[in-house]
Amino acid sequence: MIEVEGLRKTYGDLVAVDGITFRAEPGRIFGLLGPNGAGKTTTIGCICGLLQPSAGRIRVMGHDVVLEPRAARARMGLVPQELALYEELSAEENLRYWGAAYGLSGDALRRRVGAVLEVAALLDRARTPVRKLSGGLKRRLNFACGIVHAPQVVLLDEATVGVDPQSRVRLLDMVRALAKEGTCVLYTTHYMEEAQSLCDAIGIVDHGKLIALGSLDELRAMVGERDLVRFGGAFDHEATAAALARIEGLELLESAPGGVRIAMREASRRLPELFAALAAARAEVRETTVIQPSLESLFIKLTGRELRD
Amino acid sequence: MRFVWDSARKDLVRMLRDPAALLLWIAIPLAIGALIFLAFGGRTPRTPVAPLLIADLDHSLVSGLLITGLGRVPVIAADTASESRGRARVAAGRATALLVIPKGFGDAVLDERPMDLPLITNPAQRVLPGIVQESVDILLDGTFYAQRLFREPLREIRSELAGGAERPSDAATVRASIEVNRAVGRLRRYVTPPVVAVETRVEKGATEAGFGALFLPGLLFMTLLFVGEGVSGDLWRERTQGTLRRVVSSPHSVPAFLAGKLLAGAIVIAAICLVALPLHSLFFGLDPGRLPLALAWSVFSGTVFLAALMLIQLLASSQRTAGVLTSMLLFPLLMVGGSFFPFETMPVWLARIGRATPNGWALSQLKAILGGPVEPGALLAPLLGLAAVGIACFLLGARRLARGFATS
Repeated sequence: MIEVEGLRKTYGDLVAVDGITFRAEPGRIFGLLGPNGAGKTTTIGCICGLLQPSAGRIRVMGHDVVLEPRAARARMGLVPQELALYEELSAEENLRYWGAAYGLSGDALRRRVGAVLEVAALLDRARTPVRKLSGGLKRRLNFACGIVHAPQVVLLDEATVGVDPQSRVRLLDMVRALAKEGTCVLYTTHYMEEAQSLCDAIGIVDHGKLIALGSLDELRAMVGERDLVRFGGAFDHEATAAALARIEGLELLESAPGGVRIAMREASRRLPELFAALAAARAEVRETTVIQPSLESLFIKLTGRELRD
Repeated sequence: MRFVWDSARKDLVRMLRDPAALLLWIAIPLAIGALIFLAFGGRTPRTPVAPLLIADLDHSLVSGLLITGLGRVPVIAADTASESRGRARVAAGRATALLVIPKGFGDAVLDERPMDLPLITNPAQRVLPGIVQESVDILLDGTFYAQRLFREPLREIRSELAGGAERPSDAATVRASIEVNRAVGRLRRYVTPPVVAVETRVEKGATEAGFGALFLPGLLFMTLLFVGEGVSGDLWRERTQGTLRRVVSSPHSVPAFLAGKLLAGAIVIAAICLVALPLHSLFFGLDPGRLPLALAWSVFSGTVFLAALMLIQLLASSQRTAGVLTSMLLFPLLMVGGSFFPFETMPVWLARIGRATPNGWALSQLKAILGGPVEPGALLAPLLGLAAVGIACFLLGARRLARGFATS
């Protein structure tokens, strides 16, 4: 279990993480979703002991990461965003070293190395130097190195960035298998689809703050059943606002000279009605986007930006 | 402790998988040493010889005697030449000096009139022109005293030659011979046998070892410092490939990881010393009994230098800065500290500075161990000093590694 309470991390005046609180349970996958630079990696860094929190408290399986760092770290496995492998060593040698770094030795180490090589489908490449492995295989090995010591908590930081589709599917299957075995998984990503398909609970982070937290269903409920519609072009925003206000069930989220955002049920079917209202307001529509209820639409609703902006 | 060994073994395997880097650490000092060794004239030091050109404008009996005398000086290779040709050869750097014997030199000597002999020296040379000048001065003094002793027969021969004869008459030659014999007979009891004589003894070990033995300890330290630079630079490679972050997030302490790296470096250093020092013993006649102490000192001081270089790498703001910093530090230290040029070949003031540098100091200790019996107790204070420096560098390095280097 990971318990994060009021985590804050600052670098001088820059606030990288601003009072984040969440709890990740054993046997479940907790996703931290947010755009690049939102504070996800900083949060992971504070949890695994790479960074010293400026304020707040983090406990891993009941051990405070600042007060009992060894006990906390021994229960964690880190799969960093960038590859963390020795290129000159073979896959097996890497696993042996990282297993030893977490206190494994002898038969226990041999057994675990064999097991994770099998899980990552790298048995036939066990003796191959890492520099000769493909990018996808390196990603799998990077993952295997993070779980070789069978940790109770696994931190995965953007584990599928730059991975080919086949390796991505395998990696995500491995993450699901970990959770099924009772491991607590903290998974950071900026891929909304990945978070939706993988995570049992999700925290949405932006500018260092946790702006939404809950299960996928709870988050979907926050955005409601309504579609988001965005019009781009040239608008007299007062006339546009007045014209749109006459449409039943429409919520005007934003009206500006360069674009308008609205939320309404079944927007795709009511587009002719919307275009008629905009035409009456002498609007020049150049672009129309309809977003159905999703984490993406929730993020847009909460921040006014797309996740990949 | 187990993780220290695991980390050391991991680094040793990585080094062995990249043999080119390992060989370069050893090959570069060897290449530099070979070049300097050859530049200094190879293994057997030869007595330097100064090419001296003599322009004889006098062509007298006395000038002939002077030229013969100069030809017998061991360090001078005398040859005659015209004055213009001699000046050109000196200017071209192909001769040490040109001695011009002006017309009237023989008469001036016999008549005891003062006269100057121009000696034109090669400005590109420093030592050999001085040797030539000293030799010419001594021979001219000798000529003066010979003139004092054999003035009469020499004057008789001169007057016969001045009268147009091709060579002195038999009578004059016989009289001169008798005069010389008598003079030598008179002087024999004063000059032979010499009452005071110089007895030259070659100190066993020192001269036998030769120039190579002067170089080898310095080359060994150069290699150790290059190994230190390479092994310490691996910290940046580990940071770049992300493995440092994983180490810092593991339950093992950062000092254990750093100690493993230090141990791997120490093992490489020990392996190099285990080859180099017995070779030194084999080829330059070192007492094998001194090897264990020399080996211990070299490995220990090399490991301390490695710890210091690690600290420099960890304090640098970037890999490039670290590279520039270590190079800026290493090369002057190697040059002054006796690795490029042995202290024995340096001017005294520079050698004094060199011996005060950290590597120069350690090298001096090694040379003392190699050069003669050193009580292990005498090395206790230097060992403790080095250990203190090494521990300080290690602790500061571990602190920097854990607090910012791995994560920034």
